[in-house]
Amino acid sequence: MLKKALMILLLPGLAAPVFEVKLQPNLDFILRNSPTPQKYLIETMPGGVALLDYNNDGLLDIFVVNGGRVTSPMRIPENFDRSNPSYWNRLYRQNKDGSFTDVTKEAGLASAGNGNYGMGVAIGDYDNDGYPDIYVTNYGKNTLYHNNGDGTFTDVTERAGVAAGGWSESAGFVDYDNDGKLDLFVTRYMEWDTKRSKTCGGEWHTYCPPEEFPATTNILYHNRGDGTFEDVSQRSGIAAKKGRALGVAFADYDDDGFTDIFVANDGMQQFLFHNNGDGTFTEVGMSAGVALSEDGRRLSGMGAVFQDYDNDGRPDIIVTELPREIYGVYHNDGKGSFSYRSLQTGLGVLSSGSSGWGVGLEDFDNDGWKDLFVAQGHVLDNVETIDPSLHYKELPLLAMNNQGRFERADPGLTTPVAGRGAAFGDLNNDGWQDVVMTVLGGPPQVLINRGGKQHWLVIKLRGTRSNRDGLGARVRVNGQTRFATTSGSYLSASDKRLHFGLGAAETAKVEIDWPSGKRQTLSDVRADQFLEVVEPEKP
Amino acid sequence: MITIVAILFFLWQSPSPEVLQHMRAGAEAEKAGHFDAAIVEFQKVTELAPTEATGFARLGQAYLEKGDYGRAIPPLQHALKLDPDMAAAHQLLGYALLSQGYPAQAVPHLEKSDDVAALGIAQMEAGKLPDAVAHLVTALANRPNDPDLLYYLGRASGLLSKQAMDNLIATYPDSARTHQAMAENYYVLRQMPQAQKEFKEAIRLRPDLPKIHLELGLVYAGASQWPQAEAAFRTETELQPGDAEAAYRLGNALLQQGKAKEARVELTRSDKLLPDMPETLYSLGKAAALEGDNAAAEKAWKKVIELEKESSLAGQAHFGLAGLYRKQGKTAEAEREMGEFKRLQAAGTPPLAPQQ
Repeated sequence: MLKKALMILLLPGLAAPVFEVKLQPNLDFILRNSPTPQKYLIETMPGGVALLDYNNDGLLDIFVVNGGRVTSPMRIPENFDRSNPSYWNRLYRQNKDGSFTDVTKEAGLASAGNGNYGMGVAIGDYDNDGYPDIYVTNYGKNTLYHNNGDGTFTDVTERAGVAAGGWSESAGFVDYDNDGKLDLFVTRYMEWDTKRSKTCGGEWHTYCPPEEFPATTNILYHNRGDGTFEDVSQRSGIAAKKGRALGVAFADYDDDGFTDIFVANDGMQQFLFHNNGDGTFTEVGMSAGVALSEDGRRLSGMGAVFQDYDNDGRPDIIVTELPREIYGVYHNDGKGSFSYRSLQTGLGVLSSGSSGWGVGLEDFDNDGWKDLFVAQGHVLDNVETIDPSLHYKELPLLAMNNQGRFERADPGLTTPVAGRGAAFGDLNNDGWQDVVMTVLGGPPQVLINRGGKQHWLVIKLRGTRSNRDGLGARVRVNGQTRFATTSGSYLSASDKRLHFGLGAAETAKVEIDWPSGKRQTLSDVRADQFLEVVEPEKP
Repeated sequence: MITIVAILFFLWQSPSPEVLQHMRAGAEAEKAGHFDAAIVEFQKVTELAPTEATGFARLGQAYLEKGDYGRAIPPLQHALKLDPDMAAAHQLLGYALLSQGYPAQAVPHLEKSDDVAALGIAQMEAGKLPDAVAHLVTALANRPNDPDLLYYLGRASGLLSKQAMDNLIATYPDSARTHQAMAENYYVLRQMPQAQKEFKEAIRLRPDLPKIHLELGLVYAGASQWPQAEAAFRTETELQPGDAEAAYRLGNALLQQGKAKEARVELTRSDKLLPDMPETLYSLGKAAALEGDNAAAEKAWKKVIELEKESSLAGQAHFGLAGLYRKQGKTAEAEREMGEFKRLQAAGTPPLAPQQ
């Protein structure tokens, strides 16, 4: 408490907005969700954003996923007519002066497929060539773009065998079997198509709740290492559970050396797939205490983050949800068990009137505690007419972490938006975490951290025996723990680099548990630097 | 539908055989549902015996049974002219007038009958709402759960309530009670900003009105504005220290904010004021668990289960216990409680919405 109080005295600027909303003239993307009177559910669900350094110039670039053109009613076969550039997904290269250039066409990413309505994005270097690849999820077939390393991408979906189909939502790259190659987990929402669509809410004429449509399975693709993937959903046990998945996040919650998978389901119990270490998973959500609210209620799980919010070294889970359902905070108590801590952490007050989507636990004020950011906005675009206390457009939630309890802070945004995806990373390489948030019917919001005087450390992992980016590693820095991942949030992918706020500390002790099992320790690491750590080759 | 009450066949004062024949023929036709034929027969009776009330009453009844309420009225009125104390004719005329849209005229006739239900309905239609409610309550006591009576009682009560409120608003437009009434209407319509505004105005005018702060607190709670809800509930508990609901609501608002210690104080107080309320005990268990007092949480939730047995709240208590035992490493107990929770869930009682 004293430390925090002193910090506030030392940092009078903390009460000011944490972020500056940066207008980027060349970032001319509009998320075209194409709402229609038909209330096709897909219209309110996109879209993802990724922060990646696709050309390895040290600057984060932005990839945004677009929806598609929806007609009222849709004709069969469905055609979202994404040939018009306004419906393209977009890749924006960051220039040295902080501006962005649209490189979509020259990068070979212009063609999204007319049968696809875009949803989300996952980032991972699946072939360990040092360049991040892009996986786009859709309502329709998904697309894997291989990064050629020369500023261009090639659609390798067919060869890789990862098209999935149906309605995919969040996805993520994860090395679930620690073989050094990134596998791919794809969540799917439900069995739905525009032909089977309907409206709900009687005279209110709204989008239907998920319970109106059958649940479906998620997909796990195993990376064979030759540029192809094998669908192991059945064999691994992932397909044994049908859900209505929107979000996914990875971490090794029971410290057995294998990455586990949390899936946020909408309107039903949440899934926690425990990695058995032999290529199979067991869904343990209920017995682990993460399936329901503390009252045993089903949740409208949307986004998810699987990181340690209270610095006890164990990854916790935060799930974003609809109003009247407090965002779920599941504290990892150890021994494979979680307890519901939403009220203790203050989220009862902060979240019960909001709809949350993209979510991140990042140390925005570099005080050594991870803060919470949530992109917000109700599912229903006419919710105010039904309940004036709820809002389709909301400000994002920024909640600073005061030793495990979250307190509202000013995110710097003044105009409410229909927030959806959110990705986190240090866009301007100043050591302070920034945010890019997608907005239905609008441009992405680029929130640049105003910074301060606290120290920081950003670690870039380079796996040798492990996958090249060290995804799945557990990194401890001065008592804080991060699990290396680009996944989590909602439909989005964040900077692969691991950011740590160090507070007043000018040096750090860094301990890394690589997915290969190798443990590495670095002492007296200087603060305020971007540090690349290479995994030792020898066991 | 109006029930037609059979008229007692009065002893005829020296009826002629011809009159008796038409009377019998009319009664048989009526019994067979041939109302037109019955009307012809009873018409004959009134022509042959123009000073006898019974013939006119039977003719009116036949018209009523045919559904020709308008034509039923003159013979029934004539019957009463001949015999003003004929209760059955009063009753039938009351039905006919009520059916024709003359409830005020129907009331004095129905008052002379023993059909309090019809009287209540006529009084409601005539705008005599307090009398209507009283008679419908009496009727309902004789015919409990009669859907028609329940409907009319609900309607009459609603109209009476509206009348009182309209009167209040018209007479004292700026009174605290008027603002409270308007606020309650907005609350029902889920127009929360307006409800909030009206409750605040009522409080400004009469801050000591019982339940007014509680109601404002519920508006805040409905919008998940827990600090504001806490303040309102707290004021209510200060004004009404013996109100168990106010204490429960305050405890719950505190709980939503993670203020477990303070929540326990209020929830415990509520439990003392009104013991064994399952919702209070459930929240008390949550607050205790939040504070890490596992023994108290276990005790409260077990009590909920004892009281509620198979309800959704009992299911939630089982779920809470499962979490508690899991945390304590009591795997078998946790599994048992989870099993009970799942059983109740499968039984189709969905868990209650969060308390607000």
